[in-house]
Amino acid sequence: MNDIDEQLREIIPRLRRFAVSLTRNTSSADDLVQACLERALSSWGSKRTEGDLRAWLFSILYRQFLDAHRRSRRYARMLEFFTGRDDAQPSVERTVIAQSTLNAFDQLPTEQRALLLWVSVEGLSYKEVAEILDVPTGTVMSRLSRARQALRQLSDGEINRPSLRRLK
Amino acid sequence: MISMPPGERDLHAYVDHQLSDADRRMVETFLASNPEISTQVRAWQLDAQQLRAALGGALQEPANPELDPAVIRQRLKRQSRRHLASAAVLLIAVSVGGFSGWQAREMTLASPQLPMTDALQAYRLIAQQGLLPADYKVGDDGDIQGWLDRYFTQANRLPDLSSAGFKPASGRLLSTEQGAAAMVVYESQSGQKVSFYVRPPGPKNYMLPRGSRSDGELQAEYWSGSGYNYAMVSPADTAAAQMLRQTVQF
Repeated sequence: MNDIDEQLREIIPRLRRFAVSLTRNTSSADDLVQACLERALSSWGSKRTEGDLRAWLFSILYRQFLDAHRRSRRYARMLEFFTGRDDAQPSVERTVIAQSTLNAFDQLPTEQRALLLWVSVEGLSYKEVAEILDVPTGTVMSRLSRARQALRQLSDGEINRPSLRRLK
Repeated sequence: MISMPPGERDLHAYVDHQLSDADRRMVETFLASNPEISTQVRAWQLDAQQLRAALGGALQEPANPELDPAVIRQRLKRQSRRHLASAAVLLIAVSVGGFSGWQAREMTLASPQLPMTDALQAYRLIAQQGLLPADYKVGDDGDIQGWLDRYFTQANRLPDLSSAGFKPASGRLLSTEQGAAAMVVYESQSGQKVSFYVRPPGPKNYMLPRGSRSDGELQAEYWSGSGYNYAMVSPADTAAAQMLRQTVQF
């Protein structure tokens, strides 16, 4: 058990980083990590598959994030329906200012952020990512390709032109 | 083994160090004589490097003691002990006797929530404390029933309380875990308020028998119909409460 805890302690900073990149908020990121660890520890015996512990934990955390996100989206839609407003619009300003890679990364959709983090930053194999997302490896590769193009475009600031046009 | 010229996927696999040594060398040879594609691949590599650098700092954050595995194990153990405790009470209760055991189950497992607590809370927030503004105010041509019908299909009609001097004055939408709820506040000339509250049934599609309960200074009459739960809330021990209690047919 101590051995497991040691392994977990090494991975926790990575889980927190991944959670921040998903939630963009440190305190809800830690809530997410806590929920992920609780799930992992309570289903350790029954669900833990062979293979990279990190990939397994990433997949638990990612699924929990998506579930929570779906719930909050439903709630946001309901609010919008009642108030006739959509507060969830990203600000135009945020779209225009896409200079650094990190800024660009932050603007990508959830799955693309997760993919780039797993592959480019954490160095997971395509196969491991395919298992997390439960899709074929080929699908991972084409989604990764789209994510890279999107990141490239945002970093180049190509997004500026269309959004400036929208500003008028 | 990949084929030449490398496809886009192969180039990504190259960037991600997921090619065999032989394949990697082939791609490198190819890139050396294809400057345009090489620039593209360089840009991807650079993006990945920058991303690693930008996110590297996040690993240096001070640890959060709440997230330590030992602490989380402790928390899980406490939780499961609580489950065990309620299971034990249930077991004892069931062996003591059928119905009382069933009641004990309700007491230990079911949430202590009494029916239509949210209706009473909404009355306090909206009608008493005025904390939440109305979404809909009845004007001269007000059709508050129409407003309500936009959100609740075929719900029970708003009760007509005009004979008791109460008229609908405003409405407010609220959210519950199961979806939208709404409260309509009726007012009398003297400023007394009663409310009509409608909400989707609870998580187990829980329909309420016609009932009544008081909670502090408030009185709630509740019932179900047409797929929703309803409550009428008023201050207890007033003529209005009396009137609501006697209005059997909502």
